[in-house]
Amino acid sequence: MTSIRRFLLAGVLAALTLFSFIAPLRGYRSSMAEVETLFDAHLLDASKLVANLDMARITRQSQLGDNLAFQVWEDGKLLAASSQAPSDHMAPLQQGFDFANFDGYRWRTYSWFDESTQRWIMAAERTDQRFALAENVVLETVLPILLGIPVTGLLIWLIVSQGLKPLTQLSSDLQKKPAHDLSELPLRATPKELVPVVNAVNGLIHRLGAALEREKRLSADAAHELRTPITALKIQLHNLAQEVDAGSESFRQLEQGVERMGHLVEQLMSLYRTSPEQFTADCTDIDLHALAQELVARMYPLFEARQQTLELLGKRCMMRGEPFALETLLANLLTNASKYTPLGGRVQVNVEAGDAVVVLKVQDNGAGISAEDKARIFERFYRVDRSSNAGPGCGLGLTIVQHVAALHQATVSVHASEFGSGAAFTVIFPALMET
Amino acid sequence: MFLDAVILVLQEVLEAALLLSVLLVVNQLLDQHFTSSHRVAMRWYGAALLTGTAGAALMAWAMPALSQWFDYVGPEIVNAFMQLLIVVCLYVHCLLLQSTLLQRRRRDLYAGLTLLVVIAFGVAREGSEILLYIDGIMGTPASLMPVLLGTGVATGIGVSAGVLLYYALVALPSLVALRTGMVLLVLFAGNMAAQVILLLTQANWLPYSPVLWDSSGLLTEFSVSGQLLYALVGYEATPSLAQVGGYIAAMLLIISTPLFRRCWRSIRS
Repeated sequence: MTSIRRFLLAGVLAALTLFSFIAPLRGYRSSMAEVETLFDAHLLDASKLVANLDMARITRQSQLGDNLAFQVWEDGKLLAASSQAPSDHMAPLQQGFDFANFDGYRWRTYSWFDESTQRWIMAAERTDQRFALAENVVLETVLPILLGIPVTGLLIWLIVSQGLKPLTQLSSDLQKKPAHDLSELPLRATPKELVPVVNAVNGLIHRLGAALEREKRLSADAAHELRTPITALKIQLHNLAQEVDAGSESFRQLEQGVERMGHLVEQLMSLYRTSPEQFTADCTDIDLHALAQELVARMYPLFEARQQTLELLGKRCMMRGEPFALETLLANLLTNASKYTPLGGRVQVNVEAGDAVVVLKVQDNGAGISAEDKARIFERFYRVDRSSNAGPGCGLGLTIVQHVAALHQATVSVHASEFGSGAAFTVIFPALMET
Repeated sequence: MFLDAVILVLQEVLEAALLLSVLLVVNQLLDQHFTSSHRVAMRWYGAALLTGTAGAALMAWAMPALSQWFDYVGPEIVNAFMQLLIVVCLYVHCLLLQSTLLQRRRRDLYAGLTLLVVIAFGVAREGSEILLYIDGIMGTPASLMPVLLGTGVATGIGVSAGVLLYYALVALPSLVALRTGMVLLVLFAGNMAAQVILLLTQANWLPYSPVLWDSSGLLTEFSVSGQLLYALVGYEATPSLAQVGGYIAAMLLIISTPLFRRCWRSIRS
């Protein structure tokens, strides 16, 4: 079943049509027989009427309506007859109903002998006209049923639509629910058939909320609790550098390990801070280009250390956003670009206004991203080993980028850079509407 | 006139509607059941109905000329040929739906084409008879209203029966529905083969054979139930030996084909 509405409309209408149409068919034969009996009674009455007519005034050409033929016989002589009647007996001299053929038609006849006048009275009606008349009477009952089917179909459609309204409303409520809204669906005015569904969905939302809360608390607590020992570890490492050979391979690896652990904790904290539940009403009007300018200046030493060129293009672009989250997004994109671009490479940031959008583009001339990696780079803890230059990383940077973009109703895409090699990340934000 | 119109039109519409319903269900279920199978696109159904309607009008228009062919038994021979082609295409269509021998694109095309022939020829054959009947009645205006009402009622019954059969089959567990659909298609094929025999006998291309039984006392063909059984399983109150032979032979021929048996067995899994 692809559509409940179509199933209900087609199924109910088909069942209704089938039984409404078969019922008159079954009644057709009996109705026709009933009407025939009525016509016979009418023929009998007509023959009585003929007997009471003044025979002196009836000629051979007399007519008692188009459909009625008659004959009056007395002592074997035709006393009177209608124009359609034959010259001999139109029915046997036997009392009762019968059939006869004359005047090019088949007739239903009735004959009786009038004792008082000693005359045979015969009356007849054309069977084709009787049949047509009888059929018309019966069909008068079929016609409204036939014409009523489209109206019934329309009514069923309206009733089914009305009946499905709570379901449509529920579907619309669920679709409109923002990603971070984990509030329960209201139960007011819900039909009793849908109450179990709403309860089940609410139960699911509740369990999802609890799971998210647990995950969030675990990440936040773990990150927070790890921060202090890592800071202490860094101090101890600094002190140790005074006492042992800081240039040894073992010391260098220890230093890198602590650095990587610190980075991971910081990224986990960022992820927690930028999760939908934490994205509060801190949004403000921001010039994304100015924000990028500030961050590029702050991160310039990182690029300089790797002899990389960092350019910022574009102009003032106003949008609505959360400054800290946007800064995290751009910082992650820039760190990634620097990490995956070889020494002496080129990284370009471009902030431009489009048609009701603000486009942020960060591209490099590094090794680029394979099609296989493109599908997975936004997954948590997924890392691309694009070159041996890749420094410390935990695979959360792009997950955070995607989170922040989603919070701002923005889209992130990755494609080939314009520099011939390398990757380009494009984030498209909705622009601030000037009033 | 009303009852005559109902019986005549019902005979034509019911057969086409039930066949269409079963084909739709079988196509839909094979698509769900076999990953290698593929539902014939709905556009084929639309094209088949349009072609069939145009074909019905063309056949009705050409009937005077057609009736002079083959020593004045042209309509019987043409109808028998069309019916035979429908049986063959119906069989090929069902096998194509879950055949793995052809490339998917080619198989879809052939399955669509065979479906088009089955439906279009069926609609053209049945539709032309209805059109000729209505055309004949046009000469007697008094009969027009009962005939049109009868046509409407019969069309309503036929289409409704088709819709209800479709939903009844869809409501069954899919494997049961698929097997029921396949059994019905085999019965349809048997029915059509019996009709071919009847038409060829009427055209004197086959000798007359004795009537095997007369069950008109139990169930006449001129009732709605009789028509429903005729359309579903090819019920005839007075079938000839040749018709019953043709019916059984066509069914056995289809059932004994290795491809059919393989398809039937695979429905279990």
